Amino acid sequence: MKQSRKREIISKMKSFPSMSGIAARVLKLLDDPDSSANQVEQLLKQDPSLTANLLKLTNSAYFGIPSKIGSVRHAIAMLGWNRLSKLVIAACVSAITDRKIPGYGLPPGMLWQHSVAVSVTAEGLMRELKVAQSDEIFTAALLHDLGKLILGGFVEQELDEIEKAAARGIPFQMAEQEVLGTDHAEIGALMLESWSFPTELVSAVRWHHDPDSAPETSSMIDIVHVANVLCLMIGIGIGVEGLHYVPSVSATKRLGIKPTQLELIASQTLEWVKKLTDAM
Amino acid sequence: MVGDMKVGVKGDEIITHALGSCLGLMIYDPVAHVGGMLHAMLPLSKINPQKAAANPFMFVDKGVPILFKEVYGLGGKKERLIIKAAGCGSPMGKNEMFKIGERNYTVLKKLLWKNGVLLKAEEVGDSISRTVNFDISTGRVTIKTGQEKRLL
Repeated sequence: MKQSRKREIISKMKSFPSMSGIAARVLKLLDDPDSSANQVEQLLKQDPSLTANLLKLTNSAYFGIPSKIGSVRHAIAMLGWNRLSKLVIAACVSAITDRKIPGYGLPPGMLWQHSVAVSVTAEGLMRELKVAQSDEIFTAALLHDLGKLILGGFVEQELDEIEKAAARGIPFQMAEQEVLGTDHAEIGALMLESWSFPTELVSAVRWHHDPDSAPETSSMIDIVHVANVLCLMIGIGIGVEGLHYVPSVSATKRLGIKPTQLELIASQTLEWVKKLTDAM
Repeated sequence: MVGDMKVGVKGDEIITHALGSCLGLMIYDPVAHVGGMLHAMLPLSKINPQKAAANPFMFVDKGVPILFKEVYGLGGKKERLIIKAAGCGSPMGKNEMFKIGERNYTVLKKLLWKNGVLLKAEEVGDSISRTVNFDISTGRVTIKTGQEKRLL
């Protein structure tokens, strides 16, 4: 029963048309050392709404670029390759996460707010903990809940059963596993894997609720994990499951984080989110 | 809205969404029919004094006294106030890093005790999200989690 449910969920995942073909090709180009800015620009021209979102994000106060960027060419020059790639993903994510997410009880726009919040919180944690800045962590954080887009409809149908399982004291994603045979972290990771995202990033999405089960631990997984819990605690993207997740003691130990550091980050998160989303 | 405070008079309704670890504090004068609600995120402002200067409502220690003052300003009297608290939840497990909700509650209790006022009702703790509806005409406080509603 659970297995057939999981198969049904995966087949829905495969037909999910979210990541625009252009975006996937742009990301491939950005990954290829031989590609040119001109190629990226030509490709982006074919997707005006992606380009519009990209420019809005580029001009957001969060990135602090002093002059207004009006063209893709200018954006490439100002942002550089790595930042451009994370903003292309952000532009895609904003287009698909602004809807209402059934099952989890997230109103329109809330998953986008949450995705941004976890990303800027992850960047804040990297600065505070003096972990080498990584654009990939930002991207992993943006994409960590992608699986909710697919799983939401299934969670809605089985919410009573899932909540009953969770009420026995297991975290929400384990209750999803118990009832549906999979959970939103696993589905998100499978989607990203099928789109050929880097393994470490896929792993950060897969284990964002349970970093200790990852075959290999990494600061990327730990940071996305901590940033996610913190954002839920301060109410950004908290859904029907509330705080029914278990923050890993080992992950916070590995990061060497102190409660005061978490509170300092939390005190700044709202402002960072506002800076990044006001432009949209 | 996180890190915010609203006061109101008869006919007003104040709603705050998605209290996780944050504190929702509702105070009400049933004679003057005035009241207010604070939605504070963190216990102590010393963690970020600059932020506290810009937005005191983000912090329990700064926000609570202002909430009381604002309600007094509308005609509320200390001896008549009915005080209720909601929120202050925590994730599951025993990770001490994430006890912001408990610390919010502790700082609130200390503040109230110092000022000689008591909580009339509270629904705090647990790993749930709470949306609070505060009807200033009647003083009625309703908490909603998912589809389940209850009076506080």
